Amino acid sequence: MIAGPLVLRPATRSFGDRPTARQLGRIDPFLLVASLLLIGYGLVMTYSSSAEAGADSGDPWAAVARAAVFAVVGLGLMAAVALLDYSWLGTLAPLLYLLTLGLLAVVLAMGETVFGGQRWVTIAGQKLQVSEFAKVLMIVVLARWFADRHDRVGSPLVLAGAAIVLAPAVLLVYRQPDLGTSLVFVAIFFGIAFMAGARLWQLTALVAAGAGAFPLVWSLLRDYQRARLVAFIDPYADPQGTGWNILQSLIAVGSGQATGKGLTAGTQSPLGYLPIADSDFVFAGLAEDLGFLGAILLFALYLVLLVAALRVAYRARDPFGSFLASGVVAMLGFQIVVNVGMSISLMPVTGIPLPFISRGGSSLLSICLALGVLQSVAMRREGS
Amino acid sequence: MRRRGARGIRLVSVSYVRPRRFAALALAIVVALVLLTVRLYDLQIVRGAYYRELAEQNRVLRLPVAAERGVILDRNRHVLVRNLPGFAVSVIPVDVPTAREADLAERLGRLVGRDPGLVRAAIQGQRLRNPFEPVRVSLKPIARETALLIAERSETYPGVRIDPESLREYVDGTLYAAIVGYIGPITEEELAARRETGYLPDDDIGRTGVERVYERFLRGTYGTREIERDAAQREIKTLALVPPRAGGNVVLTLDDRLQKLLAAELERGVAADQFSQAVGIAMDPQNGEILAMVSTPSYDNNLFVRGITAPELQRLLGDDRHPLVNKAVGEIYPPGSTFKLVTAVAALSEGVATRNTVVNVDRNFIEVGPYKFFDWQAHGRLDFIGGFANSSDIYFYTLAGGHPVTGQRGVGPEAIGRYGRMLGFGAPTGIDLPGEAAGIMPDPVWKEQLFDEPWTIGNTYQEAIGQGYVAVTPLQLLNAYAAIANGGTLYRPHVLREVLDERGTATVTKQTEVIRKLEVAPEDLQLLREASRRVVTIGHAAMPNARLPIAGKTGTAEFGPSAGKDSAGRNLLGFHNWFVSFVPKADDNAPTAQIAMVIFTFNSSKNLCELCLNPAIGISQRVYEAYLGAGTATP
Repeated sequence: MIAGPLVLRPATRSFGDRPTARQLGRIDPFLLVASLLLIGYGLVMTYSSSAEAGADSGDPWAAVARAAVFAVVGLGLMAAVALLDYSWLGTLAPLLYLLTLGLLAVVLAMGETVFGGQRWVTIAGQKLQVSEFAKVLMIVVLARWFADRHDRVGSPLVLAGAAIVLAPAVLLVYRQPDLGTSLVFVAIFFGIAFMAGARLWQLTALVAAGAGAFPLVWSLLRDYQRARLVAFIDPYADPQGTGWNILQSLIAVGSGQATGKGLTAGTQSPLGYLPIADSDFVFAGLAEDLGFLGAILLFALYLVLLVAALRVAYRARDPFGSFLASGVVAMLGFQIVVNVGMSISLMPVTGIPLPFISRGGSSLLSICLALGVLQSVAMRREGS
Repeated sequence: MRRRGARGIRLVSVSYVRPRRFAALALAIVVALVLLTVRLYDLQIVRGAYYRELAEQNRVLRLPVAAERGVILDRNRHVLVRNLPGFAVSVIPVDVPTAREADLAERLGRLVGRDPGLVRAAIQGQRLRNPFEPVRVSLKPIARETALLIAERSETYPGVRIDPESLREYVDGTLYAAIVGYIGPITEEELAARRETGYLPDDDIGRTGVERVYERFLRGTYGTREIERDAAQREIKTLALVPPRAGGNVVLTLDDRLQKLLAAELERGVAADQFSQAVGIAMDPQNGEILAMVSTPSYDNNLFVRGITAPELQRLLGDDRHPLVNKAVGEIYPPGSTFKLVTAVAALSEGVATRNTVVNVDRNFIEVGPYKFFDWQAHGRLDFIGGFANSSDIYFYTLAGGHPVTGQRGVGPEAIGRYGRMLGFGAPTGIDLPGEAAGIMPDPVWKEQLFDEPWTIGNTYQEAIGQGYVAVTPLQLLNAYAAIANGGTLYRPHVLREVLDERGTATVTKQTEVIRKLEVAPEDLQLLREASRRVVTIGHAAMPNARLPIAGKTGTAEFGPSAGKDSAGRNLLGFHNWFVSFVPKADDNAPTAQIAMVIFTFNSSKNLCELCLNPAIGISQRVYEAYLGAGTATP
């Protein structure tokens, strides 16, 4: 699938070379500090939400310890990837692509064989992991695709080719079914394409085609997915059904008011009104506990992170690095906006985790992976 | 392809770096975060208090705790109305998914025995009013087993609550329905008017009778219970409880023993086909307390609290004897000869007649121009007592309109109207029962206004003997005679005696109320009491072996058809009897009456026997003697 010559130069040094002191000095401090603070924020929320979940879910400190282990592993992973010259990723991109599709297919097959049983949840957890990593892998693949063709990215063929590269992954994830992650893939695609310089009319045409295909998509949607869309448009249509989640999320957010009810003092989650209070609706719990101020702090950290990541993209030494960073920005930005937007009824409900805050080791690990890539690009920028 | 330049300054643009796209993406990120912030500001700062309240409503459910409705007792604290325990089913609409509403209504309807469509309508109606407040869907209390069935499977009945509730039970429902009335579900209009005072959509409210008039005492004050609950509606703990205050127990002036005696007599008369309908009222003439009030045929008010069925209601509405109407106050009839009292009071007070006024009734009619006016017999010479005791029509024609032969002057229709109104005719007595009629007390002005015709001498003669336009309620007639019996005070009749709290302490005591003092000379009142006594001893209402100094006046009135049958299959006779009476402490014409009573029988049978034409007389005697006993009256 990955046609065309590899314009990336293989790393000038061999794979295991230590980075120079100059490179280490170019670690992006904003990116690093924002990442560390957000990981810390996530640990705090892990404590709060598991304390609110009550005795049933065990000792909150145990949950924090578990999350902390993931954080440490994630930071290690981040460091390791940062030290690695990212051009190796470009070299390995075709392999990574096949690996991604293979993993997704395996999970899909496994998921189907045990469909409907008690182990569904366990298997679902497994699936989620793979699709989380698949997002980062697809960033690499798409970045490579556009980097290889950055001088003729205005051609519709390049864009169409990228779409064709993307399509199998999207379909595999969608079939799991995981609409949220497949939308993240699409967001990554548009993010990289846009930053690579794809013609706006072509992008617009793609969006229009997507909108035109909506009736077809609607017919493909599962009942619960349609219900979520309907509930987004009118949460009161069935206040106890899907709309109920949205209403209760709004109530949680709004009732946080300016400064929140305090950590572990939220009522919506412990009384069972807030569904999936540690992942999909984690933001509602945060806004209830810490209020407007807590949310603003979170947004500020996100803003620093995303702008720093954009700067990394801007200053990258080559198109591949730039597109990698752009892809990470698109992924994180999309997840943030959709997850928060869903909690406050600006977006339909889709199961997309909130970066750093949603519980789940795989999500954190994959983000650390992405941040490691970012730092690798940052360290290897040229110029000052 | 290489970028060069000083720190932070780009000199060469590189083909794959597109500053405008970077700016656009950065801007998009900022705009998105600003949008989210604005939305958050709206939710948390602008509308934060509202959502805080909703979160509290999620957490805290404030439930009304119904107060036990007061019971109703007779004057001797005999229980007439009480409460039986049961369970009520209610629904909190906000907790019912709209998609499951129809199914839930279907299943609940089956369990509580009600049309599922109506159950659903109740839920939908409440959804519009206040979806957080429960609405009762069971019409009548359900059995414990059914309640348990729902409570144990609460997950299949979302939003459904089970609360203890009591069923109003009317002991001797038919006997007291006319007075006690019944309760029923509050209507939308009533709710709108009373919501501020704590009424709930599924409340019952007194619909008629004492239940309605004294709703304010009986209802009590509802309490509230605040519970913390989780999303599955499981109650976690009670946060606060404001206990309800039970309604007051209403003590009526009625005497259950007398009520039963009276009702038994009237029902026996109906059963014997002496008459098809009857009213009996007994009162204490010294203060206006109603001791008994029977309107027969009646209805069982328990039907209404248990949920009356369409055929049952149709049967009651289709009965042309009007069982749902309290005929003691709600219907008006010609008073017949009992009205001679008014003619007499007017003539005596205006000086037109004295006890010695004699009218020679040598024929059973008098003639005015081409018209003849009849008496029921040629009595011969009658003085006042003789005229009243024998109920001579011609005697009272003369007192009212003058005598065409002797030239004796009558008091005239204006005076009769004036004294009639003084005695309480033509206006409601103001008894504490609903649906009271005013009656008609005509005079020339009234006729002129209503018919645009002048009053004639015939009108005067007819009115003198209680025929023609005049119409009264049995209660008005009783009250007028009670005023004669007590020496000239027209009291406001009432059925409330007092209201008791839970410990039996009276919180309200009904005060005796005077409508007016009669402007009638005491000796004239005494003459009327004497004449009334003579009605029984020498006159029209002979009571064999009477052991009490009963005094009274008979009346017969003919109105309505005397052919065909009523809806119960009885002959229509259009012939109705009155006996209105009182019992003084001693046989001495003193204003010491201890009890007064009116009996009205409708469609009385003419042909029982010549001497007992008026069944009301015998009924009165039997009731008095059974109630007072022969010994109560000093000889």
